[in-house]
Amino acid sequence: QENWTMTTVWPASLELIEMDRKFVELANLLTGDALAIELFDGGTLVPAGEVFGAVESGTVQAGADWPGYWAGRDTAFSPLATHASLFNAVDYVNWIQQWGGFEIYNEIYGQYGMVYLPYGVTNNESGFRTNTPIETTDDLQGMRLRLSGLEQGRLLTQLGGSQVSMAGGEIYQALERGVIDGSEFSTPNVDWSAGFQQVTTHWSTPGWHQSSSIFGVMINKASWDALSEETQAQLRVAADATMLWSLAFTERRSNEAYAQFQEAGVEITRLDDATLATIQEMANATIEEVACENPNSARVYLSQVAYLNDYANWRDASAPFNLGRTPVGPDMDVLAACAEQ
Amino acid sequence: MPLIRLIDGINEIVGRAVSWVAIIFAGLIIYDVVLRYVFNAPTLWAFDLTKHLYGFYFILLGGYALRHQAHVRVDLVTENLPSMPRRIVEMLGYPLFFFPFAWVFTYHSYLFAQRSWMQGETTYGSIQLPVYPVKIAMAVAAALLLLQGISEFLKLAIGPREESKDVG
Amino acid sequence: MSGETIAIIMAGILVLGLFMGHPLAFVLGGTAILGAVIAGRTQILGIVVNRIYGDVLDNYVLIAIPLFVLMARFLSDSGVTDKMFEALRLLMARVTGGLGLAVVLISILLAATTGIIGASITVIGVMALKPMLQYGYSKRLSTGLIAASGCLGILIPPSIMLILMASNSSLSVGVLFAGAMMPGMVLGLLYALYVAAVAFFRPDLAPAVKLEEKIGRGALIKMLIIEALPPLVLIFGILGTMLMGIATATEASAVGALLALLIVITRGRFEWRTFTGALKETARTSAMILFIVVGATAFTGVFNITGGLRATQALLRGLEMEPWMLITVMMLIVFVLGMFLDWTGIVLLSFPIFLPVIQEMGIDPLWFIVLMAVVLQTSFLTPPFGYALFYMRAIAPDGVKISDIIIGVLPFIGLIVLMAIAIAIFPQLVTWLPGLLYTN
Ligand code: NA
Ligand code: NA
Repeated sequence: QENWTMTTVWPASLELIEMDRKFVELANLLTGDALAIELFDGGTLVPAGEVFGAVESGTVQAGADWPGYWAGRDTAFSPLATHASLFNAVDYVNWIQQWGGFEIYNEIYGQYGMVYLPYGVTNNESGFRTNTPIETTDDLQGMRLRLSGLEQGRLLTQLGGSQVSMAGGEIYQALERGVIDGSEFSTPNVDWSAGFQQVTTHWSTPGWHQSSSIFGVMINKASWDALSEETQAQLRVAADATMLWSLAFTERRSNEAYAQFQEAGVEITRLDDATLATIQEMANATIEEVACENPNSARVYLSQVAYLNDYANWRDASAPFNLGRTPVGPDMDVLAACAEQ
Repeated sequence: MPLIRLIDGINEIVGRAVSWVAIIFAGLIIYDVVLRYVFNAPTLWAFDLTKHLYGFYFILLGGYALRHQAHVRVDLVTENLPSMPRRIVEMLGYPLFFFPFAWVFTYHSYLFAQRSWMQGETTYGSIQLPVYPVKIAMAVAAALLLLQGISEFLKLAIGPREESKDVG
Repeated sequence: MSGETIAIIMAGILVLGLFMGHPLAFVLGGTAILGAVIAGRTQILGIVVNRIYGDVLDNYVLIAIPLFVLMARFLSDSGVTDKMFEALRLLMARVTGGLGLAVVLISILLAATTGIIGASITVIGVMALKPMLQYGYSKRLSTGLIAASGCLGILIPPSIMLILMASNSSLSVGVLFAGAMMPGMVLGLLYALYVAAVAFFRPDLAPAVKLEEKIGRGALIKMLIIEALPPLVLIFGILGTMLMGIATATEASAVGALLALLIVITRGRFEWRTFTGALKETARTSAMILFIVVGATAFTGVFNITGGLRATQALLRGLEMEPWMLITVMMLIVFVLGMFLDWTGIVLLSFPIFLPVIQEMGIDPLWFIVLMAVVLQTSFLTPPFGYALFYMRAIAPDGVKISDIIIGVLPFIGLIVLMAIAIAIFPQLVTWLPGLLYTN
């Protein structure tokens, strides 16, 4: 029997940890006596930012993450985690399972001696929580907004705002004290648990900065190789099952939380279509720019945009019963050229 | 003993130099506060840079503080012992506690810094500040601490130390 | 190896190291390594470095610790605080027990500028102890009062203890500062009432003083304004910006250090040697505190991963006590630990065990943490290991025995316990100010 120590980047107080708990529950159930995984809440073994290093060095066997946290090591982790106005949840699932995404995760994480099982997907994030309404890009001028991500930061700068990087735990106080003018954080249910309704009066939808997100588990390669093929297959099944569960779970919880925000009197506004179209254009340009600074990043984006273009025919044909929209994304030729470097 | 003098000298120089870093990060914070409140234009890099400077600051002071016996100890039992047994008990603390910790700290910090350096690790946001300098500083600091421990151990082995109590 | 076994082994090694007189920081770190080796889990030792980097180096909140220390050093090393005390002493000495009241008052003022008790006790002790003894104050009352009042600095914000507590809990520094404000002030008030009562019933222990200095009322007021006002403005400026939400504690600490330096310069008391001396002292004090955090984070990481933490929490839960009883037990543990350990170690070792259990019981963590901060005041005063005792012993004249100091602090330990009980009965003492400042 193998005994694994696993930790996560999420503290017990954030609902995102439910995905990790679900995966561990299913994995322990399916693998029977072959493997026992013990999950430690985020921050209790190593701080969130150190989970990557702890798995990479084999100190712990497994670590649950959101890949975007590791973009300081390779900017390719960013599109593995989320997009500024590109994929929705179904796109990520399609791409991972049928359009070669799974292999790309394992190629990038593989460079650090790790195997990756994506097992969580959440659809669109809430958007910005502020004390003044944001309905057009004019409203963003000069705003100091807490926002995570490299592409996201560059995009916001182009839109006239400025990016403030700040750990999740510091946002509440920063909003309360006016250190920042607003903040994005996560999906509505997670935002609610973080108490944003107490310190902001307005909420600007949709979450263009993070159209969808992926979560999963990093596994040290040596620990993975020590498992039988059967156990490895069982872990993949547990990951797939958790992925489907996470989609439905967070959509239901986000819907509940949306109503809670309405009841709490938070003013919810929507960016108009023209503004969203402008943001899409600028997001495409930012993605091309960032991708062309790093061939790894360009390869990930290329594969993702190739999927979008490939899937567009059938998706658009099945409208209005289709699964989401097909965005006018970044230029494939540009990405292809930059991936070749 | 020349080795003791050498180690003490190194940590003394490092400590005195590093003690000035407090002024630098205090200044940086004030600069950022002024830009934010007076000019409504905060820097994008001050937050991360301040954190890194603070990290440099305190971690590199570990050996210096040990050299000056500034680390708190509970000497209520040992102070009542005669000089010889007392020195032996104090010496035993090093192989039992200090050296295992300082060795693990040094060895794993080295691996930690090496990974960061090889990966060219940066902070994650629109300003990409390199992270490896502070991680390398941690490895250097761990080694300086380990060296100072050797010096302190040798001092105990050679003879009784003059008392210098200095707690915060 | 079971969690219970490893918990007992690691606790045993920790106690052994403490009594061997080895530095606490390295006893904690060394126990972590030995614990992992004994549990057969040397593979996990890498987390020690992950934790040191992530919890201690890459930590914005902790930056405030060296900067508040620096601010205190600038003020006390340059003699600014001496003059403040002088003015207060002249103002209050004529009253029975007035000198004692002046000690409490200056302690509260110093408490509001600093978070390090070493500086407070040394400064007040050096300034006040000699005149008190000279004018016939009892040795026990004088030393006990100075020791206890000097510790208020770690409770009344700004406080490096509260900063460390915030860094290791889900609460912000601002909320904790606001929560500890009233209990700190009220505790100071209790000390003052105690001195007044002693002076009233036993004037022989705290007599009125006939001043040799001849100073007119106008001159006294002028002196008060010149000497005490700028530091007071500094204090309330710093606290105010933090509590009103204009600046974070880290920002306030930097601005505070700068303003303290400016006060020193405008008073014409700037000297290069004092300045570099303050930097060196700050370096040593900061390294001392933060290396205990380094050792403790190594310890708690290994304690957790080997199952010791869960076993200890299970033990607490297994007591199946009413919440108030369990909290009483926890506070007793804190009190007893306070006899042997430094506050940094107590906070870092007990928080990961206590806080999850407290949270499960639905108890307000703010109230709990402030209650603990109040109880931790005893850790400075209880023998055998108490900073305040060490400092008093270092500055007391030959005629004062260590037993005088220990007997002297006993009534104040009683007052601290009384204060803890008051907080238990009236939680508003803690929650009122944060509620006023922090809820929309
Ligand atoms: Na204070
Ligand atoms: Na004590």
